[in-house]
Amino acid sequence: MKSEPLEVLDKDSYAVACSLVDGCLTCGDVAVEVEVIEVDGFDAVCEDPHGQRGKVGVDLVMPVEAGDRLLIHAGVAISHLKESK
Amino acid sequence: MKFVDEFRDVELARALGTKIVSLTEPDRHYKIMEVCGGHTHTIYKHGIEDHLPENVELVHGPGCPVCVIPMGRVDDGIAIAKDPNVIFTCFGDMMRVPGGNGSFLDAKAEGADIRFVYSPLDALKMAVNNPEREVVFYAIGFETTAPSTALTLMRAKAEGIKNFSVMCNHVTIVPPLKALMESPDLRLDAFIGPGHVSTVVGCRPYDFLTKDYNTPIVVAGFEPLDLLHSISMIMEQLDEGRAEVENQYGRVVPWEGNLRALQVLQEVFELRPYFEWRGLGFISQSALKLSDAYSDFDAELRYATPGVRVADPKACQCGEVLKGVIKPWECKVFGTACTPENPIGTCMVSSEGACAAYYNFGRFARSKARADA
Repeated sequence: MKSEPLEVLDKDSYAVACSLVDGCLTCGDVAVEVEVIEVDGFDAVCEDPHGQRGKVGVDLVMPVEAGDRLLIHAGVAISHLKESK
Repeated sequence: MKFVDEFRDVELARALGTKIVSLTEPDRHYKIMEVCGGHTHTIYKHGIEDHLPENVELVHGPGCPVCVIPMGRVDDGIAIAKDPNVIFTCFGDMMRVPGGNGSFLDAKAEGADIRFVYSPLDALKMAVNNPEREVVFYAIGFETTAPSTALTLMRAKAEGIKNFSVMCNHVTIVPPLKALMESPDLRLDAFIGPGHVSTVVGCRPYDFLTKDYNTPIVVAGFEPLDLLHSISMIMEQLDEGRAEVENQYGRVVPWEGNLRALQVLQEVFELRPYFEWRGLGFISQSALKLSDAYSDFDAELRYATPGVRVADPKACQCGEVLKGVIKPWECKVFGTACTPENPIGTCMVSSEGACAAYYNFGRFARSKARADA
């Protein structure tokens, strides 16, 4: 399913990683699982399961490094993800 | 797809359905409330009810943030948005929520500068890029969303951004659960707990349900198997006579929550003495406002608002839907005067609203056929 990363619509926006999610995008109890690509201070470029990349505020889940999987909501990471069986 | 395909396996779904049936007493009627609008959305999108015995009823709770915003608060937001120097920002789902005098979308059509954002951090960026204008963010949502607002305010303060403020409508999850348990017209056997709210608050806040009301709760994820698994865990508890807080969504939800996020919430917000919930009325200490340390960013202190309570339209039965007293299709205006294109009530506005979920995923006909039978 995963293909080449999609074009970043606005590299400075905190929206992009939310924009392909089904359902209530931002205001509900819905969050998006992403992978960290690159960390820049308290922001990180992340990629969602569709390959869409965007900026995410990671202040609340520091420390973060490339390869980490995060749960984000409204442009802000709220949790680290663990593997599940 | 990682973390998705694994939770949509048909064979596992059937196995869980069989297990739930085996745990169900045929002569007992079970009422299980999914608190969260995200769960409601999954239930109807994936037909979860089709895997359940007919005497296991899912009741839709008040966990859709858009649905619980009272009309008067929409009017207050519009009053701010009409200030010609204001860029008013909100989440997209809020745009069509009807107030007493129209929605944000109506106000935008009349000339107010209202823009929707996906993150309050984007609203803050708008303030930086428009220093001659005032940018107001209309904040809604439970504890899932409140950290993003808090973080944005902390960045605004640290960066000395003066032309940014927040109209805070954030609500908290525990008080409405208590109100529901005290409601005389509703008897619930168990709760499916909100997954992403619990990512922030953890599982401990639900202890009162088990201790004070002897009612189980299982915090659940949002994929179809998450929900079926959590329902089977609930049925196991009921079968064994247990009432415990359990966490089905352990891959995401830490038992203690996100301590850093809780710390940030405590710094930026404080509890309001009371707040009006659509359908549930006034609930004490159920919502957040900006703390004294952040009062400079409080839009309600910067701008005059009507602050008038507006009664819901008489035809609208969102309140009873939000309390799980009636099913969406039992509302008098469901699918006729009230549709997603022209919503009267908030439950039809948001895709997470129970009415919109029923309407959009075609569950209405099946539920009605069941009821008629």
